[in-house]
Amino acid sequence: MHEQAFRFGAARHLVGVVGLPAVIDHGVGVIFLNAGLVYRVGPFRLHVDLSRRLNALGYPTLRFDMSTIGDSGASGQRLSREEQVVADVRDAMELLKQQSGCSRFVLFGLCSGAQNAHSAAHADPRVAGAFFLDGYGHRTLGQRVRHYLPRLLSIASWRNRLSRRHAPASPRPAEPAFVVEPLPPKVVRAQLADMLGRGLKLDFVYSGGVARYFNHIRQFRECFGRLADHPGVDVSFFKETDHTYVFSGDRQRLITHVVQWMGRHFPITRPGT
Amino acid sequence: MKARIEAELPFYFGPGRELFGFYHPAAPVTGTAVLLCPPFGVEQIRCHRLYRQLAHGLAESGLPVLRFDYFGTGDSVGTSREFDWTRCLADVITAAAELRARHGGGRVLAFGARLGANAALAVAQAARLDGVVAWDAITDGEALVRQYDRMQEALKVDLNRFEYARPELDVSSQWPGFERGDHLRGQLRQLRLLDPGMASVWLSSAVIDEASQPDERCARKRISVDVTPRWDDVDSLELAILSHPLLDAARRCLKEMA
Repeated sequence: MHEQAFRFGAARHLVGVVGLPAVIDHGVGVIFLNAGLVYRVGPFRLHVDLSRRLNALGYPTLRFDMSTIGDSGASGQRLSREEQVVADVRDAMELLKQQSGCSRFVLFGLCSGAQNAHSAAHADPRVAGAFFLDGYGHRTLGQRVRHYLPRLLSIASWRNRLSRRHAPASPRPAEPAFVVEPLPPKVVRAQLADMLGRGLKLDFVYSGGVARYFNHIRQFRECFGRLADHPGVDVSFFKETDHTYVFSGDRQRLITHVVQWMGRHFPITRPGT
Repeated sequence: MKARIEAELPFYFGPGRELFGFYHPAAPVTGTAVLLCPPFGVEQIRCHRLYRQLAHGLAESGLPVLRFDYFGTGDSVGTSREFDWTRCLADVITAAAELRARHGGGRVLAFGARLGANAALAVAQAARLDGVVAWDAITDGEALVRQYDRMQEALKVDLNRFEYARPELDVSSQWPGFERGDHLRGQLRQLRLLDPGMASVWLSSAVIDEASQPDERCARKRISVDVTPRWDDVDSLELAILSHPLLDAARRCLKEMA
């Protein structure tokens, strides 16, 4: 495994680290997008650990900061946010192609990174697959029933609710947040169908940390209907884990999941070391 | 602005090219350069943006800057389990030499937050540092270890984070967000603040945690800054620390020392 740092992009405004296996397969490279505003190493260094594991198996990787995040600057172009995301990912694919020779790519995105991976995967034919972690999904009737019914029937829940009337609760304090409005469900569904029609392999992973909008593996079907049956779609629900995989064991489980999924859909013919 | 950002270089350096660095060149004004020593673990990720902003500000003032990651952290080689205090100190010396080589000799100052400050102070002489600005340096290693242990236990039953509490989980080999090596706990417990006997400034946050209570030795050089980083708060693990008062104070102190 060998890692090299680059400044790249149309305006040389992007910063990233390319990881190359000892033997390059020239098949598929994996590109990591920022998880929210966390810089390219990922939450608790998830992207570093995962990219090195993939390098050891023979996959080239690139973890990079998108425009204005982490160490990357602004492109200076007048583009919409979505156009900039697509342009940044194109620059990233170009760099990884130059360094590794691979011409097809799998994107990895968590949270807003999943939304960005969705936009780029829909826009660029070189994207062959994507991991969407806590990405698109919306609240459904089933989600509300699963969320509220146990609470209505739980004595402990009522006891807590009543005691909270007397003692001030201590929920997480509200933090200022810059939130990007997600695409409407209908548009997401149509774009996913389009990607699957082009042959993309898509892996949807949801964590227990987003139970406020996704709380059961069945919910994927409630959200996206028959797309759930498509052979290019895999869905997992890690209900014990939090949104950013704070525990090492949870990160290892996710890494194992990613490695197995890559091996199934994009097998390496000449493993690295 | 664009030309300056373009000139900033990410690269690997040191023996075996194991350390990740980011060099911010500047038109030489005083012949002095600044080494930014990061904190450890989740604090390093929380401070990343702040360090970048500080580096830009210093470079604009004519002070070249090197940011870097210790072995086993950030983009540097090594796993989090391999982060080791002795190696960390050696990395500061390596980084100071790299900075000196890149900016053509001259004086080198250092800035460090938390354990980054301790590391810079501990090797100030070996790394030939000419001054250190420390922000919330650790004054009580035992208290820091207790704090990390307490946060790790609190995470298991944090219902703001998890749908279900996980009290049965054994996470004793981790500190918030990271695996730690067997030796690190003992190394940090023994940590005491060293005064290198040189020009040093102690920046203290408005609200200070138990591990970084300033002692009387630094009272004279202490500057209180209106920033609340919440080092010991599990709800803040994913929150970047951004603070103009801190940036202003650090920049002012470093420029005065330059």
